[in-house]
Amino acid sequence: MMVPVRCFTCGNVIGGEWEEFKERAREGDEDPEEVLDELGVERHCCRRMLVSHEDLVDVVAPYQ
Amino acid sequence: MADYDVTFIERDDTEARFLVRGVTPAFANGIRRAMIADVPTFSIDTVRFIENSSVMFDEQLALRLGLIPLTTPLGGEFDEDDTVTLALDVEGPETAYSGDLVSSDDMVQPAEEDVPIIDLKDGQRLELEADAVLGYGQDHAKHQGGVAVGYRHLQRVEVVGDRDEFRDDEPEIVRGVIETEGGELVPTEEFDNDLTERYPDSEVEVHDVENAFVFDVETDGSFDVDTLVQAGIDSIRGRAEELKEAVQL
Repeated sequence: MMVPVRCFTCGNVIGGEWEEFKERAREGDEDPEEVLDELGVERHCCRRMLVSHEDLVDVVAPYQ
Repeated sequence: MADYDVTFIERDDTEARFLVRGVTPAFANGIRRAMIADVPTFSIDTVRFIENSSVMFDEQLALRLGLIPLTTPLGGEFDEDDTVTLALDVEGPETAYSGDLVSSDDMVQPAEEDVPIIDLKDGQRLELEADAVLGYGQDHAKHQGGVAVGYRHLQRVEVVGDRDEFRDDEPEIVRGVIETEGGELVPTEEFDNDLTERYPDSEVEVHDVENAFVFDVETDGSFDVDTLVQAGIDSIRGRAEELKEAVQL
């Protein structure tokens, strides 16, 4: 649904990086690896939070 | 007790790496545990929903709100279980961010402003009041001020001879911080964690340095690293003194 606020494994707050990551690596054509490095998301536990996330709010919204 | 020797290797507001010499492994672990579990932070604990027509349930939103770090002054301004009230009122189409939370106390504010809470569509609205309490990491992970707190032995690298000319070209991976023979402290990232990069022509031996630990500390933004480490140590000292008094004749 919405991006998790914190990394499940280490507890680092990663929710704030999502919109920039989405804009640059999902909608844009930048390399996700470079974007994550620039955002300062270092550990692979935090990185997978953003890489594997899918926004579902738009999918669920019509069924409210 | 013996003297400690603390050297900072890297240090900024939310991340630090420092070397502590002269502590036992048990004490090093005590510091780590104190930083994780015994340093209190503010976190939203109770939420009163006035209106929630978003696509997420009240309890889902309450969980998200709880995980947002709030700045926590540790100078004795607040006691355990003190509450601070925050309010949020956002109407769609718009995204509610952690920065939209309005706090009743200037000292307790969302540490990060741009964490999305919920995406609101046209006609959806979220209005709520939330009580943040000062709690401990041992009760709930949302009260953990320290993130990924850990330590490693300091490793001493010694050159013991020349590298065999016909040896396999294998990397020698080390992580953390090494101490060279000259006493210099080098984070292993500087040579890509590979000793063959730093000592291409030498045969080296790596040994743990006894009673020397390199701590990696990060905070979630509730306070800076200095405050976290200091508060962790103070908590150990407080308990030690309590014990000393309790067992006195």
